[in-house]
Amino acid sequence: MEQDRTGQKPLLHVEHLTKEFPVEGGVFNRSRKKSVHAVNDVSFDIYPGETFGLVGESGCGKSTTGRCIMRLTTPTSGKVVFDGKDVSKMNKAELKEMRRNMQFIFQDPYASLNPRMTIGEIVSEPLVIHKVMPDKDERMDYVRSLLDVVGLNPEHINRYPHEFSGGQRQRIGIARAFALRPKLIICDEPVSALDVSIQAQVLNLLSDLQQEYGTAYLFIAHDLSVVQHISDRVAVMYLGNMMEYSDWKTLYAEPYHPYTQSLLSAVPVPDPDLQRNRKRIILKGDPPSPINPPSGCRFHTRCPIAQEICSKEPMPELREVAPGHFCRCHFAAPKPIKESSVEL
Amino acid sequence: MRKKNQEDTWTELKEQPVPEGHHLLEVQDLKMYFYTQDGVVKAVNGVSYNLDRGETLGVVGESGSGKSVTSLTIMGLVDMPPGKIMGGDVLYRGKSLLKMSERDMQHVRGNDIAMIFQDPMTSLNPVYTIGRQLSEGMRLHLGYTKEQAWKRSIELLDMVGIPNPEQRVKDYPHEFSGGMRQRVMIAMALACNPDILIADEPTTALDVTIQAQIIELMQEMQQKNGNAIIMITHDLGVVADVADKIMVMYAGSPVEFGTADEIFYGSLHPYTWGLTRSIPDPVFTEKHPLTPIEGNPPSLVNVPKGCPFSPRCPYATALCHEKYPDLYVTETGHYSRCHYAGDPEFVKKNAPANSRTKAAAKAAKEGGEA
Repeated sequence: MEQDRTGQKPLLHVEHLTKEFPVEGGVFNRSRKKSVHAVNDVSFDIYPGETFGLVGESGCGKSTTGRCIMRLTTPTSGKVVFDGKDVSKMNKAELKEMRRNMQFIFQDPYASLNPRMTIGEIVSEPLVIHKVMPDKDERMDYVRSLLDVVGLNPEHINRYPHEFSGGQRQRIGIARAFALRPKLIICDEPVSALDVSIQAQVLNLLSDLQQEYGTAYLFIAHDLSVVQHISDRVAVMYLGNMMEYSDWKTLYAEPYHPYTQSLLSAVPVPDPDLQRNRKRIILKGDPPSPINPPSGCRFHTRCPIAQEICSKEPMPELREVAPGHFCRCHFAAPKPIKESSVEL
Repeated sequence: MRKKNQEDTWTELKEQPVPEGHHLLEVQDLKMYFYTQDGVVKAVNGVSYNLDRGETLGVVGESGSGKSVTSLTIMGLVDMPPGKIMGGDVLYRGKSLLKMSERDMQHVRGNDIAMIFQDPMTSLNPVYTIGRQLSEGMRLHLGYTKEQAWKRSIELLDMVGIPNPEQRVKDYPHEFSGGMRQRVMIAMALACNPDILIADEPTTALDVTIQAQIIELMQEMQQKNGNAIIMITHDLGVVADVADKIMVMYAGSPVEFGTADEIFYGSLHPYTWGLTRSIPDPVFTEKHPLTPIEGNPPSLVNVPKGCPFSPRCPYATALCHEKYPDLYVTETGHYSRCHYAGDPEFVKKNAPANSRTKAAAKAAKEGGEA
């Protein structure tokens, strides 16, 4: 799926995106203004029809990045350009127009569907809001065809969400996101609440729909193997910063950043032979609080190769360590993990 | 130091030797059904396994497969009614846990068999300090005084790797992060030096780097204390990492049981194959679409006729839809509940490739070319 993108215009361009949430000091210390540095100077591009994966541990700012892009929350600074227009400067009418082409799939299939609406109403709601299909019969026919596409029985159009299992509900959420045929869908942990066998069904559905409609995905998840499976390019985030990004193959086979290396080595592999023979880097401690991020490189407090420079110098810049491979580390060096796996 | 404040004549089970011909824990054809308004839920339906000291059993299955309820039944933590034991037995050091009185069970719980729950947020009491919650079990089971228990709590926190334990022991659960709370849970479970540690999805709520820390800690503690572990999880990666034996559960019954190598390299059940195929392979060359198991897990009120997996099984035949399969047991004790498990042709044709068969195929190919 690798392709030459020179000359191609990105569908989404994110530049120096930063989001800080103010923390009110409470009744007695209002004067002290602190803030949570949720997203810090994140930049990337998404091209039409590709899947861009965003991985990281909880609290690393991956969901906030997604929400900033859709402007469900307003970024503190930075630029988000979607389809040639700056999202951060849009007014309400422009935002609505933009959201015709950018939809969202949520993590929790139990909380993201209104329990008092039927499946037909839920899936057709985007069409009603954007006044795409004014004729109700036509709309319902279209919804039936959509339900069929996502693998649900079209006859269930008048049922309510509680009558469906978790995996089926996630399919309803997918049908709703695809109703307007958007150019970009932000998938925020779409499979993490599902069982493995159901998870595979939903991942396959997402790939099939992408092939058919050419939709681009921003795929946010914490499960590295899921992200590897679905993404063309993958970015790793830690404490609000993008630490490394590259195409999926290079990032998983030759990670440069010590955080990516330890993250990959921490994932248990379902293969006892491999598990016994591989060397694991176990990080010490918990991720620091984003209210008071460490000075210098934000990873230096847990980094296995940290030196004096890491805490003294400011956060290292994202630099291109190999063509199309960016990494934010003073000592970035490739560490192939390829030999540890068995290949045909 | 050890004193009993109870007057009954309870003898410490874990200090007695395991009787001849018995294992540390024996679960024999255990059946536990819930009687609800909607019908009979066959939550545990014929579970059998043996466990010895120092061993780790991994219990894998999807949500609703009965993996947690099985261990709750063993611990006597299921409310009866609506629950009812319909058959089978659980023997701990040769003694039946199901026939034990509630008073005796209270000696066993926490002292001989301890449990770690999935959600460290809800299994700690928010209004008591960590130290007080850690002390509770030791004062009850080991007869420690308040001061002894407090001192031991600090040692335990230090042992599970919590920095500055003298201060942290006075803190409340909300002052700890998720990973640290799970460490506290482990400390609490290990406080009375139990024989068996049941860990119900202990790392599911945690990030991967923290998960790696917790698994390492549990393994370290096992090496030190020699206890047995029952690890309940839905993550095949985690069981591959820790388990000696694996039990795969589906719709309340074990469908396959064997050593880790047998399950990962010589599995005999289509459900296990389906699970393996559903997880994305860590590959660096070409991506293949996943092969999911079609359909949804059955409701336990209405378990399908014949083999419970037959409606979702790609290889199901008329026989599978009609007859509940017998156990197929190999010489090593590896068992599978499938009509065709004993047919080597069937297994060879349909089992997914694993790293061992791939390596063998590669070697054969290279050998053929040379």
